[in-house]
Order: sequence, then C-alpha cells, then structure tokens
Amino acid sequence: MKLPGMGLLEGLAVTGRNMIGSFYKKERMTTVQYPEERAPISPNFRNFPFLVYDGDPKTGLRCTACAICEKECPPQCIYIVLERDENGKSLKRPKVFDIDLSVCMNCGICAEVCPFDSIYMDGEYELSTDDRFGGLLFGLDRLSKSAEYHMKLRPEQASAVMARRKADEEKKAAAAAAKLAKARADAEAKKAAGQEKGGEA
Amino acid sequence: MIPLLILSPLILLAALGAVWMARPVHAALLLALSLALNAVLYLVMGADFIGLVQFMVYVGAVAVLIVFSLLITRPGDEAEELRRRPGALLPGVACTLPVLAMVLFTVSKTAILETGNAPSISMESLGKTLFTSHAPAVLALAVLLTAVMIGAALLARGAHASGLPRSASCETKTADETGSEPPIS
Amino acid sequence: MLPLAASDASLFSPEFLPRLPQRLVEMILTNLGAAESLVSIAGFLAAAGTVLAVFLSAFALLSLIERKILARAQNRIGPNRAGWFGILQPVADGIKMLTKEDIVPAKAERLLHLLAPILIVLPSILALGVIPYGREWTPLPLELGLLFFFAVGSMTELAIFIAGWASGSKFPMLGAMRAISQMVSYELPLMICALGVIMVSGTLSLPRIVECQGGFHLGFIPAWNLFTPWGLVAGLLFYICSIAEANRCPFDLPEGESEIVAGHMTEYSGFKYALFFMGEYLGLFAISGLGITLFLGGWQAPLPGLDFVPSWIWFFGKLALVIFSFLWIRATYPRVRIDQLMRFAWLCMIPMSLLTLPAAAIWHFTGRGALSWVVTVPLLAVPWIITAMIFNRRLSPATRHYHFAE
Repeated sequence: MKLPGMGLLEGLAVTGRNMIGSFYKKERMTTVQYPEERAPISPNFRNFPFLVYDGDPKTGLRCTACAICEKECPPQCIYIVLERDENGKSLKRPKVFDIDLSVCMNCGICAEVCPFDSIYMDGEYELSTDDRFGGLLFGLDRLSKSAEYHMKLRPEQASAVMARRKADEEKKAAAAAAKLAKARADAEAKKAAGQEKGGEA
Repeated sequence: MIPLLILSPLILLAALGAVWMARPVHAALLLALSLALNAVLYLVMGADFIGLVQFMVYVGAVAVLIVFSLLITRPGDEAEELRRRPGALLPGVACTLPVLAMVLFTVSKTAILETGNAPSISMESLGKTLFTSHAPAVLALAVLLTAVMIGAALLARGAHASGLPRSASCETKTADETGSEPPIS
Repeated sequence: MLPLAASDASLFSPEFLPRLPQRLVEMILTNLGAAESLVSIAGFLAAAGTVLAVFLSAFALLSLIERKILARAQNRIGPNRAGWFGILQPVADGIKMLTKEDIVPAKAERLLHLLAPILIVLPSILALGVIPYGREWTPLPLELGLLFFFAVGSMTELAIFIAGWASGSKFPMLGAMRAISQMVSYELPLMICALGVIMVSGTLSLPRIVECQGGFHLGFIPAWNLFTPWGLVAGLLFYICSIAEANRCPFDLPEGESEIVAGHMTEYSGFKYALFFMGEYLGLFAISGLGITLFLGGWQAPLPGLDFVPSWIWFFGKLALVIFSFLWIRATYPRVRIDQLMRFAWLCMIPMSLLTLPAAAIWHFTGRGALSWVVTVPLLAVPWIITAMIFNRRLSPATRHYHFAE
C-alpha cells in the first residue's frame, strides 16, 4: 500500500534529478543557446524561395522567365521582366526577378509549378532588416544560389532533380544522335539512289 | 503628554470619518486606522502587550472581517453611497451627549499620571492573573467562541444544502454504484 | 586616529561582523563628543541600515537564484545573458521596473492605490527587525518579539485588501478576496504551532527562545525544537503555513498568472509592482527566519564542535537551505484550488496544530526524555493517520455523471 504523501516525495525526486542531472547529462539540457548555436532545421522546412544556377550565376541560371510562378503565386509577390534583345526576341532569361519578403507567405506553390527546376524553397530564416521597404525586396542577385547550395540544403530533393535532369539530357542527346544517324542514313540512301540513276542515264 | 495630544485628535478624526464617510469601504478603512492609532497609544503608554494584541486582533482580524463581509456581500454600485437622513441627527445627538458627559465627568475625577511612571507588568504576572482570578471570564469567552464557530458552520452548511444547486459530479459514489455505468455514454 | 577601548578588542572578530557598522558609528560619534541620545539614534539607524542592506541585496540575489534553480529543475538554463551567469539580471530587472510607466486605472482610487504597496512592504521590513541573526545580533530585542511579529504580519491582509479594492476592477477584487481568505485561514495554524514553542520555552522573546534550544542530547543531536515529537509536527505545519502565508506555489492561487492574471497586483506597474515583489520576498525571508528561530535552533550550530564558526553564518546557512526547499517545492508541485486550500487548512491543519499543544504540554511534564517520546508520538501519529485516511477516501475520483450527454 502506498503511504499517503509518497507521491509528493516522488515528485521532489523527479525535479531533484533534473536539477542535478541537467548539469552533466547532455540529453537533459536541450536548450540551444541562440545566437551562439543554431537548432538544426528539418529537411522539409521551407521559408523563402531562391533561384538555382548551374555554374555561372548569369549564364547558368535555369530560369527562363516563363512567369508561371508569377501567375500562380497566391499573394502575387513575384515580379518578372523578360529580357529581350534589340529585335524584341526573348532571350529566355529574366531581366528583373523580384520577390517581396513582406508579402511572400512561404507556401511553396512557385516551387511546385516551375517546369524548369529553377525555383526552390530556401531554409534561411535570419532575414530581419531595419529597412522596411528596400531591405525586404529581394532581387536577382540575392535570389540566385548555386546548385551545390541546393544539394547541401536538401540533398534528397537536389539529387533527385539532378538525376532527372541528367536522364532528360541523355534522352535528348540520344534522340538527337538517333535523328542525326537517321538523317545521315537518309542522305546516304539518297546519294546511293542518285548515283544509280546517274549511272543508268 | 505630547503623544496623547498628537494622537487623540487623529483618533477622533479617523473615528468621525468612519462614521461620516459616504462609501462603506472608506468607512471601514478609517475605522481600521482609528483602531491602529489606538494601538499606538497603548504602546506609547507602555502597555506593550495590550497594544500589540489590539493591533493583532482589531486591525488584523476585526477590520479584515468587516472588509471581507463588504467584499462578499457586494452592494451594487448605486448603493455604494450611504444615504444620509437629516432627521437622524436629533436622536444621534440625544444619545451622544449623555455618554460624552459621563466620560468627561469620569476623566475629570481621575488623577493624571505623568509619563514614565507606568507600572511595568510582566507577561507572566499578566497570564497568571488572567487564568486564575479571571478564569471564569476566559472560560465563558471560550464557550462563546465555540458556539459561534458551531453556529457559523451550521449556517454555512444549511445554505449549501438548501440554496445552492448541487452538481452530481461532485458527489462521491458509494461502492455499489461505481462501475455500473460508463462515465460518458 | 580613533582610540580603541579595551573592550573593543573583539570589534573586528567574525562573530561581531554584523554589528560592525553600528559599533563604528557609535564609536565615531562618541569620540566626536555627540550627545547620548544622538549616539543611540545614530547607532540604531546604522543597525537598521545593515539589516536593510543585507536583505535587499539578498532579495535581489534571490530573484536571480530562484529563476536559475527553477530553470535547472525544468531542464533548462536560467537567465545567463546579463553578465557572467546572469549575475546582472537583478540590475536589469530593477532598471526595467523603474523605467516603466506608472499606469493607474481611471476607476481606481489614487490615494489607496499608492498606499497599498507601501503598506505591504512595511510589515515585512518591520518583522525582519525582531529575528535573532546571531549570538549578539538582534536588531530589536523586544520582550514581546514573537507577538510583535504576528501583529505586524496581520497588517499584510488589510494591505492586500486595499490593493485589490483600490484597483477598481474585477480580477484584483477576486484575487484580494482569495488572498485574504487564504492568509487568514493559514495564519491560525501558524500561530497555534508557535504557541507550542512559547509554552515550552516559557517566553515570547525570540533571542531567548533560541537560547533555550542550545545544548545537545546524547552528545551529538542538537536540542532544537524540530527534534522533539511535537516539534516535528508543529515544524512541518509551520513550514506548510509559511508557504501559504507567503503566497508561494503550491499556494499561489492569489497571484497565479494562468488563473487570475496577477490577482491583487494586476493593475500595478513599474515601481509599485517592484514594491509588491519586494514585499513578498522580504515576507518570505521574515517568515523563514521565524521558522528557523522557533524550530531549527536559530543561530545554534548543529554539532558540538562547530562553535568556532560565527553564529550568523549558521543562521544564514539554514535560511539558504529553507529557501532552497521553498524553491524546490515551487518547481515540483501544481497549484491547489481555492476549495482544496480552504478544506486543507480548516479540516486538516487546524486540528493537527491544536493537537501539538497538549502534546507539547505532555512532553514537558513527563520530563522531556524517552518516556515523553513514547507517550507523545501515538497522541500525534494516530490522528494524523486517521486524517490522512479520511482525506484519501474523500479525494479519490468519483464516477462522473453527465446529465445532458446521455
């Protein structure tokens, strides 16, 4: 039979163990001393979009300014201007790509709908600034980050994307090689047929 | 003499305020103040025990009782202002003047002791006197207090049993009823 | 150059360290030729100043240590940003309290609103004056010291009422009502337990109560009041009542944040709130000091050979232990409800504390030896067990009956 009052002493023992154990047992003290330490972020954490480039920030940018993300964004926080050359032909590159941090609600819809694997959600959350207007408008220079950064941030997603892109490229190269071989075969056949005809006449 | 001259007007003012104040809480607090000043008077006169007990009993218990009853039986805000009836002045004066006359008569017949000659009474002799020659009074007081406590407990129990709605979930079940039906159907 | 008298050779010894400011002031003034009354008044002011300085810095330190210990009990680090290990946190708190805007509600009574914090701090500071801190060091060695302590303590309840009523809004009124009912209910067992000590020691003077607890039984057990059968029960009850009197967890319903915002302190901000805070902590020091004086032997050393340690170090060591236990209890137990609180006070504590009185008398008249233990322990233990059994049965959860859900 449990003596009345034993529960009180057991409670005291629990907090007593905490008091002493929190000094030397690492698994008890779960406090992360910000800003000296940072808590690790989970793989699915998303905060703000960023644009991916392969190799060079200017020429390797995957974005083609198709503006699908601009149309799909629910709070309409993306502003894209397509770069055209002197003749008005589109260069498939954005001249201006602005996302407003004060409007963006971090939903990730722009990353879901992008057909060119160029916009993904970043994990950076220390974005405070004291400039309410200019400091919260992120342009192309601040949004572009390398594919290696994407790989470091979300290894699973980035490796899946890279594998898919490589497979697509190989398929395209194979199709192009096949077409080239077929065209060469056709040209050979035509040359052989023309030779025969010329030989007969 | 000087402490008496300083304290007496203050006590009188506080007591007058306790009677004249419009709002009950102000009156209660001024009453507590006059009782506390009385305790200071006793202390100045050298009656340590009586002064401290006056403080503990009157300010710490009686005044708290008064304010507690004010808190519990909260009169509505419109009833806060006590209505003064002009016709009540005459009976009040008629009762006060004879008492005042008696007090002044008694005071004028008593010799004034200069301060510093107060007889020092030890706690032991006080206790012995209280419990030997005044024992019947102490016992009567004990009986009275016991009766008061029993009466208060009975009154509170009566109010609980008849007036307040009892929620069934507060009852403790006897052994044969527990477990017969699930708590939530 | 101040000439030192022969009796002042011990002026700088560790035992007399707390008296140093007072003695120095008196010595300086006497050597300057001041009048007798001026010397005594100045000496008294120096003594009061010492007590205030010690306990105000202890209050500041306690507010930090409490947060650190509560944090460790909850597996987290306490404040550690303001200075090395958070040692400047009380300074930061003080600056915050002093620079806050003083808001008084429109419906509040301004004079009473201002008066209440002062009336709450006053009893705590007065009560700190009668406690014997060392062999030679009681700021106010009154003949009726214990009565003085309880008399000024009873002023606190009226002050809480003034605080609650003068704020003019619902939460303070409710909080004040609960606080007053709690304090009044728990003051009774407090005084009855102290009554047992008064009976056995035969005096109301606190320094003499401590002196009565000198000496050792069987060579090594100190003759403190806690180590007697009635003293054990009375000490435990006094301990629980002092937690309730100081409005601390698990009895902090009057000021629990999740229950009633801050109770009677809701409408106070800035320095007035700091005064409430200070009054509560100084009251905690005062009542723990009284408990130590009555039951734990005050400044007496626990073992025979340790008399060389100054007596005030023993007192403050015991005070530190008692306050640590208060903090530990605060970290562990949930808050009790108001009806549980009142039921506990009136149905369990008052009968048990009333039983300690005949137990103390019997213990005294049967010679205070082994026979006393044999006779007194059943007198106390049997009702305690019966009360515990009654409470256990009454508090066991019953089958709930839902009227409308069936």
